[in-house]
Amino acid sequence: MKGTQSCSCRWTRAAKFKGPRAEKNSLMHPIFGYHGRYLRVDLSTGLSTEILLETQLLREYLGGSGLGVALMLKEGAAALNPLAPEAVLAFVFSPLVGSPLTTSAKFAVVSKSPLTERLNDSLASSGFALAGKKTGYDAIVLVGRAEKLSILLIDEHRVRLESAEDLVGFSNRKTQENLLRRFGPEFQTATIGPAGERLVPYATISHDGRHAGRGGSGAVLGSKNIKAIAVRGTRRVAWASPPALMSLAKKLSKKSFGPATAKYRELGTASNLLMFNRLNVLPTRNFQQGSFENAAAISPEELNVTRDRTRSSCAACTIGCEHLYSLKSGDGSVRLEYENLFALGPLCGIDNAEIVLEATRRCDDAGIDTISAGGTIGFAMECAERGLLDAPWLRFGDGNALLRSLDSIVSGKEIGPLLAMGSRRMAMEIGQDSIRFAPQVKGLELPGYDPRGLQMMALGFAVSTRGADHNRSGAYEVDFSEAVDRRNVGPESAHLAVETEDKAALMDSLILCKFLRGIFADLFEESAEILSLVTGWEVTAKELRATAQRIVTAKKRFNILAGWTPSEDTLPLRMLQNALPEDSESHLSAERLASLIKAYNLARGWSEEGWLPLGQAASLPVG
Amino acid sequence: MRKDGRLEIKLGIENRSKERVSLGMQVTVELFGIPRARAGVAWTVANGSTLGDVFLDLAKRFPDLGEACLQGRFLKDGYTANLRGEQFVTDPAIHLNEGDSILLLSLDAGG
Repeated sequence: MKGTQSCSCRWTRAAKFKGPRAEKNSLMHPIFGYHGRYLRVDLSTGLSTEILLETQLLREYLGGSGLGVALMLKEGAAALNPLAPEAVLAFVFSPLVGSPLTTSAKFAVVSKSPLTERLNDSLASSGFALAGKKTGYDAIVLVGRAEKLSILLIDEHRVRLESAEDLVGFSNRKTQENLLRRFGPEFQTATIGPAGERLVPYATISHDGRHAGRGGSGAVLGSKNIKAIAVRGTRRVAWASPPALMSLAKKLSKKSFGPATAKYRELGTASNLLMFNRLNVLPTRNFQQGSFENAAAISPEELNVTRDRTRSSCAACTIGCEHLYSLKSGDGSVRLEYENLFALGPLCGIDNAEIVLEATRRCDDAGIDTISAGGTIGFAMECAERGLLDAPWLRFGDGNALLRSLDSIVSGKEIGPLLAMGSRRMAMEIGQDSIRFAPQVKGLELPGYDPRGLQMMALGFAVSTRGADHNRSGAYEVDFSEAVDRRNVGPESAHLAVETEDKAALMDSLILCKFLRGIFADLFEESAEILSLVTGWEVTAKELRATAQRIVTAKKRFNILAGWTPSEDTLPLRMLQNALPEDSESHLSAERLASLIKAYNLARGWSEEGWLPLGQAASLPVG
Repeated sequence: MRKDGRLEIKLGIENRSKERVSLGMQVTVELFGIPRARAGVAWTVANGSTLGDVFLDLAKRFPDLGEACLQGRFLKDGYTANLRGEQFVTDPAIHLNEGDSILLLSLDAGG
């Protein structure tokens, strides 16, 4: 591990951490927006080390996903088994956390994914980001493994473990309630549910009902025998230009009440459902269809008139996109997003809203990614219906089968161990060419966008370092515009996918919520102004474009070190061989996808196949 | 509102007078997301030979929709339209054919 170590200490239970504080970075220049150091905790040895972060590294990778991948490269995490004790898991904050900027209370969880064996960066929001940064660190990096299931407490500079053996098997909800009673409201907690304890490779890390959801960071935390992290602190960073920042934050908040965010505010992301259905891009019954005949029954338009609905928002957010719907069982309410609605609804052929909501709640409690869970169960349903899997009870449209499957993933009983593999490994286990319709890229299950009818998104899915993913590539935005014919995208448009990926990399590293993206006339220009006011750096849009490209390249570098080959950048064969049954124009051939990928790689300055030029690789952090 | 308290959004067929229907070319407009919430209907029939004409007609008949999503013959930021479920369009000068369907929707997906 390279870096400038400022001090370290081995914990005894509840021992105080002592040592010099680094109020300035190693060059003794004041840093605005950052603490200029991260905390590295070895859970095996109890050694906590404070490591200084060079200003250049912060400026080149910002925070969140960007700083996270830089730390992963420095730690040499790509070569490690993601569930081995020596594996690295980082909670990364950002220069904007704690600022008055709307939606900036976010953190990234970065590691090697146990599901994809590639880089995984998942984001979540709210109080954990604020309290985590107030501990005085820009990131908290975990290595090693605690002897038994534990809670890691970081109380500013005091680091200690407490037993969590009384919490074994507890849901996220119950764990967070327990920790609130135990430690009080000043501590913010990130937890895993029973799925994380069982190392389900698509287990999540939960905070206050939200999840760092994709790619299995919950399993990585579980492999370290950490049930929860609790953080508290009082250390705030200074901003370079507070009055101007406050003024800009007010303007941003005002804009966030405008039409660009009205959909999220008033209806939530679930309102995509009927529109996607109309365009025949709503994945249905394991991507065998692009529309669902009973979509209206589970749409928010229907739920809004049949159920109580409440709204919520993350800390420091003026949008308030969260819409919670009541369960008819009377057992509380459930946060509903488009992705869990599609994955636990049409993808499994389910048209019963109560089942979808109950399934969502079980995923949240257990701590499993709803997209991967629904994708894997939908795949299993098709395998069962085709006679490839001996599970006659597992049928599309059967709500009880969906709930039984979810429970089995968490309990490890019945078909659970197979489903807990995710669709790629499950297809390898089943064989019989089932991999051709396993709904995954690099092992990560596809979100709710059929790539045959959204071909710019198809490219985004194929090349994304995280696997099939709508958060690291917002290429669907191009599909939903006049810039391309979404069902016949050509290689001349590949640079547009690069652009959306770069925008996502920037927002995920600053960090700002992507639901804000519509209010920026020029994201790079306006982000440069924001970052300049926070850090005092004279940042330009050009620099941030280069920063975003560097971050994407660093992620690719990580994957190459982890064993990536060009053959991974593709889609399931079904999607390259069969047009959507509702729309014969929605056809994406393997040849066209290959031409898009080639054009994308060249637009990135990589080789046609996607390898990095020596110069680019050499400029990235090394361990 | 129906007796059971539900809004008529699900069916959402707007009653139009014969006089109005007889004016010019007719297209079907399907509404999604905020446009649907503002108009209070899932779809309607509008008059106009261009996209801009249709927007003007919609704004006149659905003032809340017009205020939220339309600016004269143009769409406001945050909204887009799609022709026949195929091609995304925003240019108000685009010519329409009798019986065309136009989808009016919020711009961003995601989530």
